[in-house]
Amino acid sequence: MKRIEKKLKELSQDNQKAFVGYIVAGDPDLETSLQLMHLSVDSGVDILEIGVPFTDPIAEGPTIQQAHDRSLENETNLQKIIDLICKFREKDTNTPIILMGYINNFLMYKDLINRSHELGVDGVLVVDIPGELSLEDYGIDNQDLDIISLVSPTTSKERVKEIVKNSTGFIYYVTLRGVTGSSNLDGNEIEQNIKYIKSISSIPVMAGFGIKNSDDAKLLSSFSDGIVIGSSIVELIYKNSENKDFHEVSDYISNMKDAIR
Amino acid sequence: MKDNLPDKDGFFGEYGGKFVPETLMYALNELEQTYKTLKDNNDFNAEFHRDLAEFVGRPSPLYFAKRLTENYNTASIWLKREDLNHTGAHKINNTVGQILLAKYMGKKRIIAETGAGQHGVATATVAARLGLDCHIYMGSEDVRRQSLNVYRMKLLGAEVHEVNSGSATLKDALNEALRDWVTNIEDTYYIIGSVTGPHPYPMIVRDFNAVVGYELIDQSQESFGRMPDSIIACVGGGSNAMGIFYPFIKMDNVELIGVEAAGKGIETGEHAAPLNDGTPGVLHGAKSYLMQDESGQVKGTASISAGLDYPGVGPEHSWLKDIKRAKYVAVSDDEVMKAFHMVNKMEGILPALETAHAFAYLDELMPNMNKDQHIVINVSGRGDKDLNSVVEIEDIKL
Repeated sequence: MKRIEKKLKELSQDNQKAFVGYIVAGDPDLETSLQLMHLSVDSGVDILEIGVPFTDPIAEGPTIQQAHDRSLENETNLQKIIDLICKFREKDTNTPIILMGYINNFLMYKDLINRSHELGVDGVLVVDIPGELSLEDYGIDNQDLDIISLVSPTTSKERVKEIVKNSTGFIYYVTLRGVTGSSNLDGNEIEQNIKYIKSISSIPVMAGFGIKNSDDAKLLSSFSDGIVIGSSIVELIYKNSENKDFHEVSDYISNMKDAIR
Repeated sequence: MKDNLPDKDGFFGEYGGKFVPETLMYALNELEQTYKTLKDNNDFNAEFHRDLAEFVGRPSPLYFAKRLTENYNTASIWLKREDLNHTGAHKINNTVGQILLAKYMGKKRIIAETGAGQHGVATATVAARLGLDCHIYMGSEDVRRQSLNVYRMKLLGAEVHEVNSGSATLKDALNEALRDWVTNIEDTYYIIGSVTGPHPYPMIVRDFNAVVGYELIDQSQESFGRMPDSIIACVGGGSNAMGIFYPFIKMDNVELIGVEAAGKGIETGEHAAPLNDGTPGVLHGAKSYLMQDESGQVKGTASISAGLDYPGVGPEHSWLKDIKRAKYVAVSDDEVMKAFHMVNKMEGILPALETAHAFAYLDELMPNMNKDQHIVINVSGRGDKDLNSVVEIEDIKL
């Protein structure tokens, strides 16, 4: 069984929701990223989403954009990120890892991405490729890698059908119209749309974008299989990256995990 | 046929497409459907052409550049005078068309990105005319270089948002406009200013701006009895070039030449010439030639012209390059300044620095032409907006 499927199955058997946590690889540096990956898992993250920095991340709000910029100043690239994941796997072989980024970076490392499963990667989420398109057509082709797709409040029902067909692992439901780190969640609309996805497919659905506090997390986890949190974690990492004391990150993650129990 | 692209998925060969976050797909599909319905609608076209005639002042003249022709003493040089349009550049053709789409779609809020400010001014102009809320994104570096245009946009009632992220130029303004669009998707129309971005934009912008090329067909026939031998246009994103090239793509005996910004020189790496020194990649929703490093990160650009200072290029140009239907060359900042002075002194025309790139290629082209040939330069815009930059570059005390 694939690692993402296995993890989600275990959680659901325990009647628990999944916590997907996002950090940008290389912010503040790759060594610290390794430390933060382990710390996140120890504090309650079930699935790690590793942001691949890009110069022009059009779906990101200022918090994650700036994290991308900081990471790029360290010349982070996909090869170095895969090396980071290999190091992480020396100590943790259970936590699923998803690479999240933009198509232009993935295209430059096609061969590496196609080999990445054996190196410890479980899935890829390419933000700027429409979900009804197949990544195989762009040379990214490995049956062992889960292909995570986004569905948004503006996705038509017809397109949702096409998107779930091409997706494995889980569907990432974008909870608002906007970039990462925005606010204004509409609980009612989110509930309706996730219900629709679940009515046509058995694939798990995670809800993300705009989750700031434990109330948001609690609400969204009540009608999804789990939640994704990015900007808030990235912000706390940045705030503490000077002295590298990440207690606040750890506390935040534990609180959120408690909120969705 | 070479002029029936893009295909149904928005590709010109391998270039183009819709590489955008999911939230935008709905808006792009809505726009594509609307355009499909309207482009052959008689009322829509009548309104578009009436606006072009009465508000923009079309057709723009085809003007014989007598002294320039005598200077090179080979082919006749003709100028397609887009600089005489209302707001001073070809950019108004596209915005007049797209604001009509926005009107038919019932959108109340208009956003746009701008580099040199010409597209921002053209957008603010058409938005003012319809009383629509208008927001322009502009890199802070460009705000500085093009302060006159910033003031013009404000006069027209637009809000100008300064963008400080990344290199603070056109590409970052485009990122920020896309982020605004993702956030305000339902009531907002995004007027992209070049033949770039996700499908259907490269097609829509080309079609609206192709009025330049269609006029040139008739004007060439009237002025010298046949089609031109060569058409020369500057290329940043490539909308002025695409507009004048498009109707000629199927006429194989008309040479199409796009001139990119070589900045400090192609060999220095400090330029804005992806077709000359880039590789295929995906930026701002489309696959096209791109200035990028081996990790797929987009590189910084350098050009004295804010309007050409962009690391990507329209997908149709990438395709025309690959099938060798158009030729893409590049000229340096120094060559551009020389041409800028030449056009002022010999023809009494103040070209935009973008446009001066097309003129700067004459030194290389003209010695190989004969006296019975005719070439056309697209004078894409006028240079009043660049006077501050020129004064600064040449260290002149006013």
